[in-house]
Formats: sequence, C-alpha cells, structure tokens
Amino acid sequence: MTADTLAGWSAANRRRAEAMLAAYPDRRSAVMPLLYLAAMEHGHITEDAMREVAALTGMTPAQVQSVASFYTMYKRDGVGRYLISVCTSISCFLLGSDALLAAVEEETGTAGGESSDDGLFSVEHVECIGACGGAPALQVNYELVEGVAPDKGAALCRWLRDAGPEIVLSDEMQQLFGGRRSFDWAIREHEGAVAPVPAFAPYGSSGEEGA
Amino acid sequence: MTAETGDRVTITIDGREHAAEPGALLIKAAEEAGTYIPRFCWHPRMKPVGMCRMCLVEVETPRGRMLTTACTMPVAEGLVVDTKSAVVEKAQEGVLEFLLINHPLDCPVCDKGGECPLQDQTMSYGPGESRFVEEKRHYEKPIPISDLVLLDRERCILCARCTRFSDEISGDPLIEFKDRGNLTQVITFPDEAFSSYFSGNTVEICPVGALTAKPYRFRARPWDLEAVESVSMVDSFGSRVSVQASQNEVLRINGVDNDPTNQGWLSDKDRFVFEAINSEHRLTTPLVKENGEFREAQWSEALELIAERLGSVRGDEVAGLGGARSTNEEAFAFGKFLRTVVVTPHLDAQLDDGLDPRFLAGTVARATVSDLEEAATILVWAADLKEELPVLYLRVRRAATELGASVVVVHPRRTGLDDVAAVKLTYRPGDGADLLGSLRSKRRARAEVTAARAALKDGPVVAIVGRTSAAERPGLAEAVAAFARDLPGAKILPVARRANVFGALDMGLSPELLPGRVPAASAQGRSALEEAWGPIPEPGGRSATPILEGLRDGAVSSLVLLGCDPARDHPRPILARQALENAGFVVALDLFLSDTAQLADVVLPLEGFAETEGTVTNLEGRVQKVNRIIPGPGRSRPAWSVLGDLSRRMGGDLGAPSAEVLMEEIATVAPAYRGLSWDRLEWGDGREGLVVPTGDGEQPLQHVPDAAALDGAGDGWALHAGRVLYDDGVLTRMSPSLAALAPRAAAYLGPADAGKVGVEAGEEVILRGPYGAVALPVGIDPTLAGGTVYVPANLPATAALGAPSHVEIERLEGGGS
Ligand code: SF4
Ligand code: FES
Ligand code: FES
Repeated sequence: MTADTLAGWSAANRRRAEAMLAAYPDRRSAVMPLLYLAAMEHGHITEDAMREVAALTGMTPAQVQSVASFYTMYKRDGVGRYLISVCTSISCFLLGSDALLAAVEEETGTAGGESSDDGLFSVEHVECIGACGGAPALQVNYELVEGVAPDKGAALCRWLRDAGPEIVLSDEMQQLFGGRRSFDWAIREHEGAVAPVPAFAPYGSSGEEGA
Repeated sequence: MTAETGDRVTITIDGREHAAEPGALLIKAAEEAGTYIPRFCWHPRMKPVGMCRMCLVEVETPRGRMLTTACTMPVAEGLVVDTKSAVVEKAQEGVLEFLLINHPLDCPVCDKGGECPLQDQTMSYGPGESRFVEEKRHYEKPIPISDLVLLDRERCILCARCTRFSDEISGDPLIEFKDRGNLTQVITFPDEAFSSYFSGNTVEICPVGALTAKPYRFRARPWDLEAVESVSMVDSFGSRVSVQASQNEVLRINGVDNDPTNQGWLSDKDRFVFEAINSEHRLTTPLVKENGEFREAQWSEALELIAERLGSVRGDEVAGLGGARSTNEEAFAFGKFLRTVVVTPHLDAQLDDGLDPRFLAGTVARATVSDLEEAATILVWAADLKEELPVLYLRVRRAATELGASVVVVHPRRTGLDDVAAVKLTYRPGDGADLLGSLRSKRRARAEVTAARAALKDGPVVAIVGRTSAAERPGLAEAVAAFARDLPGAKILPVARRANVFGALDMGLSPELLPGRVPAASAQGRSALEEAWGPIPEPGGRSATPILEGLRDGAVSSLVLLGCDPARDHPRPILARQALENAGFVVALDLFLSDTAQLADVVLPLEGFAETEGTVTNLEGRVQKVNRIIPGPGRSRPAWSVLGDLSRRMGGDLGAPSAEVLMEEIATVAPAYRGLSWDRLEWGDGREGLVVPTGDGEQPLQHVPDAAALDGAGDGWALHAGRVLYDDGVLTRMSPSLAALAPRAAAYLGPADAGKVGVEAGEEVILRGPYGAVALPVGIDPTLAGGTVYVPANLPATAALGAPSHVEIERLEGGGS
C-alpha cells in the first residue's frame, strides 16, 4: 500500500515517509509528521494529501482531516512564499498588534487569512506565539521577530518583496526590523511555512536536507 | 476502610450512603443508587470522554470541594458527592447556557423535539433565559452525509457520541470533527459518505436533532408514537427493538439495550426495514389462480379449495417448505399441520443453503453470545458476519477491541472483521478440508497457519461456524466444529442467517427433527409426541432439495409454502422453478407475492413482523417474545390461525385458539422448551430472553459434530457466492431506502486470476454453472483467494447463477485476446 500511495512522491519524501512509518509501533501514530511531509509534497494539505496519509496510516480520510484541520500550522490552502503571522493575543494586542497587522495588510495588499495574488505573501493573525515579553511580535515562515513597530512591519514586508531572501532568519530580521526582545532563544534551523520542523529531524526532514 | 461490603465500596451521594462497584464511573454508580446526573456525551456502552461538562458534580477532596465530571470519575471508598448543591446548579446552568449559545432552538420543526435530552435537561437544569444577543453560528442545514442520514450542524452540541460510536463500536469512522474552537463541526470527508451498516445508531444516540434518519424524518412527533418491545426479524441474531407506530403504521424502529444480545445497537437493516411492513406491495387478500391469472378470493373459498386439493392426494405426496421467517408458534403450527393433518414426513425450514439441522439445533457444547465476553480466542469460519449477522459482528468486534480476545478469521476473501483479526486465513472454497488438516497437523506451514495454530491454543475458544457461502459444501462447517471441539475450553456457535431458522428447527421443521430438539428417529421421542398428537408419519421424509426434485419428477405432487421463496433462495433456482411449474398444486402463505408465490395456485396473505405475537429463537437458542403493535393490511391473518382453519376444513384440529395456547402446547410437547411461557418472557425471569433448554427442559438431541469426508473436487473456478447485507431479499427489495443501497453486481477475480483469464475490470464475462448462467462485469478483488471467483449472491443480476461450487468463466466476444 505504501508503495502504491507514494508512487507520485519525490524519492526523498518517499524515504522520509517510510522512515516515519517505521518509527512507530502503530502506523497511525505517524499521522502528524506524515501530514507535514504530504504538505511539502503537494504545496499544502490537499484532499489528495489527506487521502494519501489515510492510506499510509490505515485511518479513514475523515480522521486525517480531523487532525489536519485542528492544527493551524497544517495549511489547507496554498501559502505564499512568505507567511507572515501577526500575534493578536493579549500582550501583543495591548502593545499595538492591531496597528501592526493593519500595516502588514496594507503593505502586502493582503487581508488576514489570505494570500496575495502573486503568491508572495500570506498574512494571518495568530494566538500567542510565546513572545509576550517582546510584544508586539510576528513570525515570517515561523521565524520570530519581536518588538515590531507598525512602520518596521511595513519595512519588513518591503524588504521581503525587494530582497526576496531564499531563507528567512529570525536573527537577521530581528536586527533589521525588530525592537525589544523577550530573551534570546533563536532557533538556528532553516525553516519554511510548510517545511519541516526540528522535531522531525530524526527522519531527515529538518531544514538542512529538505531545503 | 471499614465500610466495605464484600468487594463493594461505600460512597455518599447527597448525604446518603450507597454501596457501589469500586472503579465504576460515578455517573453510573449514582444512577444505580437512584440519582440521575444529567449528561449528554456519556453513553453507557461507550468510553467516557468528559466532553460536554453537563455531568458536573461537587466532590470532596483533600483540597476542599471541587467540581468534577461524574462521567470520568471512578468511585472509591469514602467518596462524598453533592449533585444538587448551589455550585452544581450554577455550573449546570452555565454549561447549558453555553451549549445553547449556538443551538438554533428550532425545536418545533425538529424530529428530536419531545424526546430531546437537550430540551429536557434545559427544562430541568437550564437558566430559563439566554443572555446571548449576538449572531448564532450558521451552517447549511441539513446536509445528507449518507443515503440514510442527514446532518444539521447548527443543532450539534459536539458531544462526540456519533463519532465515538463509529470509531469505537462499529469500526467505520467516516464521520469526525473538523476544524476547532467555534468552528468545530461533525462532518465526513468531502467525497466519502457515511455509508456504514450501523449509521442509524448515531441518529438514535445523538442527544439533539443534529442527526436525523431519512426514512423517519418529519413522519411523526415522538408523543404521537406508540411503542412495543419486540425482536428484529431481519436475521437470526435476535436484536431487541422498540417498534413504534402511529395510526396503524410502523414509523420507526429503535434499538433496545438487551445485555446478552444487541446491547442497544442495530444494523440499519434492522432499523429501516419497517418500510417493508408498510409496503404497498403487501398481500391483502387471498388470491386464486384461474387460467394462469390470479383473482381475488374470499378466505372461505381459498381455504375450501386448498382443503379439497390437499385432501385429494395421499399425505406423503404433499410437502411443506418454510417457517424460518415465522414465529415459533407459527412454525410449530405448520409442523403439526403437516405431520398430523396432511400426514406427510416431507418438510424443511431450510432451503439447502444452511447447515445440517441436527448440527444447528442440537450441537453439544453450544456457545451463547455472552461467551464471547470471556473468550480468549474467537475462531470465525463462517459467512462475513458484517454482511450476514451485523450485530453479531459488533459483539465479536467488541470482544476483540475492548476485551482483548484474539480473533482468527477464515474466509475466501476479506471480511468486515479482518481489521481487528489477529490472524486471517484466506482459502479457496473447496480447499477447506485441506486447510483444516494443516491447522490440525504440526507440520511446517505458511506463517498465517502457524499463527492460527498458536492463537487457537489459548482458551477458552469460541468457534463461530457457518457456511462461508451457499456455494460452500455444507459439511465443512461441521468438520470445522469437530476440529474446534478439541480446542481448549471450546464452545461452538453454529450460525445460519434466516430470521427464525433456529426456532423453526426447534419446532421440528425438518425431516430429521421433532419439536423441542428431538431426533425424528428416536423411538422414545416419537412415542411421547404421539401421545399428544396421535400417530405421526414414519421418519425418513424428504428435505428441501429432494422435495423439489420430487415435485419436478412427480413423486411429490403438492407443496405448501410458509413465507418461503425457493425460486429465489434455493442454491439451484432452475430446479426450484421446474419444481413449482411441475407441481400439481402449490399454496403459498406469504407477506408478498414473491417469485415463488407467483407460481403458486393459491396465495394467502399473512400478518408478519409487528403484526403478530409470538416467540422467536435466535442463533444461540435464546427465546424472546415478539409483539404486535398494528394489524396486518387488508384481510391478512396470522399463519397459526390460517393453518388452524385449514386443518378444520381438512377434518383435523390443531387445537390452537390463539398463539399463546400454542406456546402452552410447545412447553409441554417440546422437551427443550419445557417450562417456557409468554408470561415468563414478558414479566418473569425471561425479560432478556431465555436460552433453552432452561433448568425445566432437556435436550434429547446431543449432536456431536463430525468431520465427514469432504469432497473438494470440481471443474473450473471455485465460486464464492457470499451474501451482502443489502441483497435482493424481499425485505430489502420492499424497503425503498434499503433497496437503493444494493451494491453493484460483478464477478470479482484476484488481479493475477484476471490476468490469467485475460480480462480487465469492467469487461463483461459470462459465468456458467450447472444451475444457470449470468453475464457480469469483472471486478478486481485483491483479497480473494486464488482460483476463486466471488459473486455477491442474490442480487437481481446474479440470482440466476444460483450457488454451485464451481463455474466456468467465458469472455464475451470482441474482448481482445
Ligand atoms: S451530531 Fe449529535 S451525536 Fe454527533 S456530536 Fe453532534 S450532538 Fe453529538
Ligand atoms: S500575546 Fe503575542 S506573543 Fe504572547
Ligand atoms: S456527560 Fe460527563 S462530560 Fe458529558
């Protein structure tokens, strides 16, 4: 079943999928990492992707859909090259996240929850991203930037458009556009919006190999 | 502590002490102690989730009184609970206020209105007024999520009963929550409907009107329904049901929780088959054939004609078939009529599609369904239970998933139980004896056989044995039982499908049996029966196939059919047809003008399920009472009364002024049924049904399954003619909602075999067997044993093939090389 389902996948992702399935005594435990992988394969989590993960894990597509739709980091619609997540939870809200979000929306021409027509940006507002001490905060492709004033937010968007960095890094953006930081905790992995996360490194899906 | 009584603990509920089962959930323990704690998500037959918070109670803890959910709280010694404190009341109000925020309150147009837990509990525990002035959540309503079930997401309170049922109980989780927070909703995957054989249960357990059943929608208000408890007569499992009717029409069937049998659940066939009861195709008046055409007749005229025709031939020229869909009382009356009024030994309740009647009725070490709860290993070598006995499938599934039994499934292709089976053995029909041999031996064998041998060493073992399909040799099941008998702690559950086939055999509807599990050859049994009945014919009568052969060849001249359709159900449909056409005189007592009844000379309309009272006996030998809630249509009558009338016209007497009197007679002349009475089943110790023989009775027939020589040879492809739940049987055909669910007919081959024949999926082939031929498109079934062709039995396009053991496959011309 694995071979059939994965026939269309890239060789690297096929290998990763097999490693993930082999890592658990029960196939269905692999559903979450597999969803990331399927998203990488399809660009986002499509119906086909959920069907494939269902076939791989022995779950029904409805069950996979239930998992995929519960977590906001599983993107079920196409995501732009840069996913900008503006925190609008309480600390950030108190320190002006509304204005930051508005600035980002205006600069990118993209409303929260949507993607720009050219496929460059997706903007979303998210709940607390654990940077309350550095509010207001945002993330670009899950790379954190803290203490972002509205004009700096707009500048960040312009920079993304003009410089078009291949990989965005928290430290770099923080230096260019950030303000006060809560503490220094930066992740040094290279990550994208639908790309792998460090937790899945054992399967060879961390930034280094997947990029 | 001190207050323990036996292995019970003492808990205090609202200031009063009660004894409770340690570890029991508080919500249940409280209910048993007489305190009802309101709930939505908790269901006694499913695991708790603590999802709705309606069951909040205050318990005393070392840190003071705390609110907790009673459905997730196991009781322990000294637990002190307050279910009615001001804090609890406030919490309940709060929970209800939250639940009602998005609830549309469209109760006046909701099917659940009047029996809705949300409505009722809001009345009892709710705030009375809402403070929510914002816009409620909106969804398109309702949306069909299957052919039978509609979903209204606005009404849903997200208790997860439906999703848990389909995951935990029925094992087809096609509905699940989607999204989160305020947007959480129950839904299917976009292109995969909730097509479960058990979907109706979710409608029944949904605590609001979010899930509704198409066949019942808008048909009645609950307070207009009258209900009576009865037993489903769709298959031989005997699920307990509540039959609900209004204005002489059955409008709904719900499940009733009977612990030893269905535990509340039903198959959708059990549930929605009521459409057949109300079918406009029901027979309403006697019909007499004249010059090849039926005309309506009066009962007196029709009975007079039958009496005259049956009376004009020798008794043993007459044969009787059927009774397996009737009540015990009717089957008993049928047997008594044939044996003492007509005086013939030729009678059979089965149509050669079942098993040896002695094996079904009187096997030693017979298992009950409850034995599954204790089994370490369950061997299932029978039909696909999910298709033929779906609620038994649920019980086996429960044993496997909840109680840790390992299940060994042996079948020619995949079955519904494969997902939970520890071992699955696939074999080609006809090779069963060889497989049995290798299970017995210690020689090296393929891995699955070795695994099965190991699993079967672990007792107690319950072996569910039946015919994998009517094309399978009937002797195999008994050989399997003979093998299983030697396993540790083994018990045998022989299964056959037709509703009351076990009851009919117990009533003696077989040339091999007399009423009450007495072998027909037993001199002692015969003389005991003759004392009550007068002389009965010598043993050695014909069974179904010899009866039909006799009719075809002229040795038998007349046939009496009781709810029986050999033209459709006998494995050799052509023989059945020839027999009926050649017969001198055929009378059919039936609910519908079946294929067989159309060939009869006289047809008599019967009252059926929900219209007659009596008892039925399920596959474990459990006798339960069936009840009446509506009269039959037109001039239909119960079979026992028709047979009584007919007997009088033929100069005999059944001595049966009512079905209850028949039960009294059964309890005297049928040793296995001694001591039974309607009273006991309705009001006494038999409320859950009684497995016969009870302490009062005895079972003279002690049939030891024997491994007869099995002949596996045959030319061509082995046929697996497995039944599907929604086949073209009369009950499904006459229930429009179910008839629409019939699967596509096809001739299935394994991928390699399809290559061998040189056909692809969709291509048409002709299957030719000794009893008939059919043209079917090819389907590919990778789970099928090699050398086997699988044809779903008894669909309109497959019925003509019958059920031979082997068939030839011919490609249609122009199919390439
Ligand atoms: S549809 Fe009914 S049973 Fe299912 S979660 Fe909603 S309220 Fe509960
Ligand atoms: S509230 Fe914005 S990071 Fe916590
Ligand atoms: S019944 Fe206890 S939380 Fe729902």
